[in-house]
Amino acid sequence: MEKILNKLLKKPWLVLVVFLIMTVGFFKVMKSNSRMETDLDKYMPQHHPAFVYSNQAEEWFNIKDGIIIAIENQDGIYNPGTIQKVKDLTKALQKMKEINKDDVTSLYTADNIIGTEDGMDVRAFFKSTPKTDEDMEQLRSNVRNNEMIFGRLVSNDETVTVIIAEIEDDVFSQEFYQQILKLGESFNSPEKIHVAGRPIVEGTMALLGPADMKRMVPIVLLVIILVLLAVLRSFKSTFFTLLVVLFSTVWTFGLMAAIGIPIYAVSTMIPVMLIAIGVADGIHLYSHLHLFMNKNPQASKKDAMLDMIKGMWKPVIMTSVTTAVGFISLLTSQVYPIKYFGLFTAFGVMMAMVFSLVLIPAGIMVFGLPRWKKHNNGVNENTQSFATIFSAKIVKYKYVTIIVTAVIIFISIAGIGKVWINSSFLEKFEKDSDIVLTDKFINENFGGTSTLNVIFDSQDDGAFKNPAVLKAIDKMQDDVEGTLQVVGNSFALSDYLKRMNKVMHADDEAYNVIPESQELVAQYLLLYEMSGDPENLWKVVDYDYKKANLTFQLKSDNSKAINSTIEVIEKHIPELNTLNVEIKYAGSGYKGLVFTDLILKGQIASLIMSLAIVVLLISLMFKNILAGLIGAVPIIITSIISFGVMGLLNIPLSTTTALLSSIAIGIGIDYAVHFLERYKIYATETGDKVLTSQHTMQHSGRAIVFNAIVVIAGFLVLLFSVFPPNRALGALVSLNMFTSFLGTVTIMYLMLFVSNIYFKRK
Amino acid sequence: MFCKLFKMVLIVVLMTMPVILSAQEVPTALQIIEKVYDRETGNDMQGDLTMSLINSRGAQRVREIKQYIKDFGSMEKKIMFFVSPADVRNTSFMSWSYDEAGKDDDQWIYLPALKKVKRISSDSKSDYFMGSDFTYDDLGDRHPTDDTHKILREESVDGESCYVVESIPKDEEYMYSRTVSWIIKDKWIGLKKDFYDEDEDLLKTLTVKKYEKISGYWTILSSEMHNVQKDHTTKMELANVKLDTGISSNKFTERMMKRGL
Repeated sequence: MEKILNKLLKKPWLVLVVFLIMTVGFFKVMKSNSRMETDLDKYMPQHHPAFVYSNQAEEWFNIKDGIIIAIENQDGIYNPGTIQKVKDLTKALQKMKEINKDDVTSLYTADNIIGTEDGMDVRAFFKSTPKTDEDMEQLRSNVRNNEMIFGRLVSNDETVTVIIAEIEDDVFSQEFYQQILKLGESFNSPEKIHVAGRPIVEGTMALLGPADMKRMVPIVLLVIILVLLAVLRSFKSTFFTLLVVLFSTVWTFGLMAAIGIPIYAVSTMIPVMLIAIGVADGIHLYSHLHLFMNKNPQASKKDAMLDMIKGMWKPVIMTSVTTAVGFISLLTSQVYPIKYFGLFTAFGVMMAMVFSLVLIPAGIMVFGLPRWKKHNNGVNENTQSFATIFSAKIVKYKYVTIIVTAVIIFISIAGIGKVWINSSFLEKFEKDSDIVLTDKFINENFGGTSTLNVIFDSQDDGAFKNPAVLKAIDKMQDDVEGTLQVVGNSFALSDYLKRMNKVMHADDEAYNVIPESQELVAQYLLLYEMSGDPENLWKVVDYDYKKANLTFQLKSDNSKAINSTIEVIEKHIPELNTLNVEIKYAGSGYKGLVFTDLILKGQIASLIMSLAIVVLLISLMFKNILAGLIGAVPIIITSIISFGVMGLLNIPLSTTTALLSSIAIGIGIDYAVHFLERYKIYATETGDKVLTSQHTMQHSGRAIVFNAIVVIAGFLVLLFSVFPPNRALGALVSLNMFTSFLGTVTIMYLMLFVSNIYFKRK
Repeated sequence: MFCKLFKMVLIVVLMTMPVILSAQEVPTALQIIEKVYDRETGNDMQGDLTMSLINSRGAQRVREIKQYIKDFGSMEKKIMFFVSPADVRNTSFMSWSYDEAGKDDDQWIYLPALKKVKRISSDSKSDYFMGSDFTYDDLGDRHPTDDTHKILREESVDGESCYVVESIPKDEEYMYSRTVSWIIKDKWIGLKKDFYDEDEDLLKTLTVKKYEKISGYWTILSSEMHNVQKDHTTKMELANVKLDTGISSNKFTERMMKRGL
């Protein structure tokens, strides 16, 4: 390996030109072929049983996420102007090509099941806007008297009414969103139009996250450049260190584009990883060079390069390979975007390694050695003495170090217990953002903007005409709605039957119950079909009455809300089972929950696996199991603290934050391996433990500090992001860098020192 | 001389031919529709109706109904008894529809489980009949003067030569923006009909699958309505049809509804 690198050293120009051309090539591919994936369903593992079932159920009952458009009039909605707007807006939505005509629900399209003197009727609430006050009052009382509509389509205080437009998963686009907003605006004043609903939240998030990243990354890079300049004190070094990061990112995304893999939301984490990891090699190389030049000021650049390659190629390759293997362990994930993330980050890391070993020496051969500023030596001596003191202090106060570490770990473990997974999309937005405020407004006035679908399944023909089954469902509805504040409403076949039973008995409230016999249920349903729009029935029950759909409306889409609802639902399972009915769940909220759970479990599995691999690899590289175990310490500490802090600060685990444990591995390995390698080299050179410690601290320790400072400074910039998940990302990457660094130079170093590795024979 | 005469005759013949042909062969669009409307179907009819509803996933629900229809001149009375499925057996439905323009049908339903006859009023004729793809209006006869008719072309369907007539409702609020009917010449039976929705998109297609001459009247025995937008289909099949058997007028009363089959 060293030979190849040395050979390349002879033709630096050629190397630079070839890499530049290739990078331009990848860049062009990336430019022309890259594609963002915004359809969240594409992220989910399509063969997972929960998703397969949910997708089926969505098709059976036409379950779709709805865009909710609320029309608010402070003076009440029952005036010709507002009612006309309900009709006009409904019709305008029905005409949009993204929306099926039948998927728009409003006061204009809703069925009013009413009792008449001698029977029942299903009517529209209005066809043309009521012109007289009398007709308007009639409309008001019709709505008030219909519990299937009042509180669902019209708020209890009668100042807000909603139009729900259900759309397919894949039709949401930025243009469509703008169209909807524009449409809403055109109906503004005196009424206020609010637009909310999961498709809006999902769509906005899928677009906002990466857009925010695009805005923040240049600033992050700028800060990194400035800090690199301050640390490396050389334009050339900074330039080539950055070039490594830039080239590896371009190659990675270029390769993705070339193979035709779209950019997922998690893919935006790839540059994050490459920045954090890619600068490390450069910093270590330049740091080594700097020390060499200090010792041998007269050395030629060729000699300097030969020494740099000789001393550094091994740790650079070792760190990169272990890091890459750590990322490849993500292939065990069931989630494709994460598999790709792992695979391509691994590729990027390997490329960064190649560029560091080839481009940096070539750059120095062509453009000469970096010129360090003169006061360098003074500072260097400071570092040297600081390193000496620091390494001595750590050893002297080793019990303090151990106790402090133990306490921090103990607290963190307590924090881990509090970590919770959140699949909420809404909570990723600012608390005072339009999207959150609108959602809150609608939740205050209506049942809820989020839904959970419970699917009842039975083998018996006509099971859902059986009064016992219907009563059990009704009981579940009452229980869930009564127990949980977060559940605002529910809707099922039982609601239709109760309503019909009531109106067929002269609106007698005593009959607002499930009918007593299967025949009556069947005959009511036939009656409904005769007088109403039977399409509506197929949203709550299937054609042969063997499956039914119950929709709960939730006021929050976070995992706690969904889980607490499921918990109450599950209490009813035994009773339903005795009736030969089973339940499952469906809907995008539920899929989100399962998905996040999958990611987390996959993440923990791959974390444990990569930890084992890392221990094994380091043990092999250093031919010492103890070294392997010690080398894993920074990773373990970083992961524990990372999850602990999330638990303590109530930062929920989500797709992005869960991936951060990968950084712990990537960075942790780097630090540990560089440190171990230096320690080993100095140990054989000096044979003196204290001297070895001092040298290692000065060499690797210094480079590690630099690396940490650069990346931390860069990622702290993300704290100013407008997108909260990106802020959490910035904070957690910085934290991980910091704990990795600290863990390496304190507790890992201490263990190394105490363990007497490489000094055993003495 | 002979030549001159021949030429003159030829000119006269050629000039008058289109007039003769149109006068004798081609009725106006309105006349065609009127012929369909006026086609004799008997004074009463009874039979077993099998109504199959098939949704887009191919799931099917079948209802067996015994029905009686009698023409009372200015009104038509119809009574239907459900035979199956079992849980709706003996549920009956009666409707009286009137020729008088603007007068809504009277409809009753008897639910045996409730032991009560209830009146149901449908909002309009645009409601779907028993969850099928037929609206009440599709099942009844629309008066020819309600629409403006135009012959689009003549073409052959299933070996029958047909007039293709487009009908546009005079009432702009009507549920269809237009319909196109294929009407068999001489038999005056609609073989096929396309219904277009308010947005001028094809909504439904009605196809007549089987018709026979029973007791001297052309009677449609099997038809299929396919809603292309929802991909939902309704098949109506009539069996054991008897015409002009002299069904008693008291067959169409609430008492008979309760009595069941």
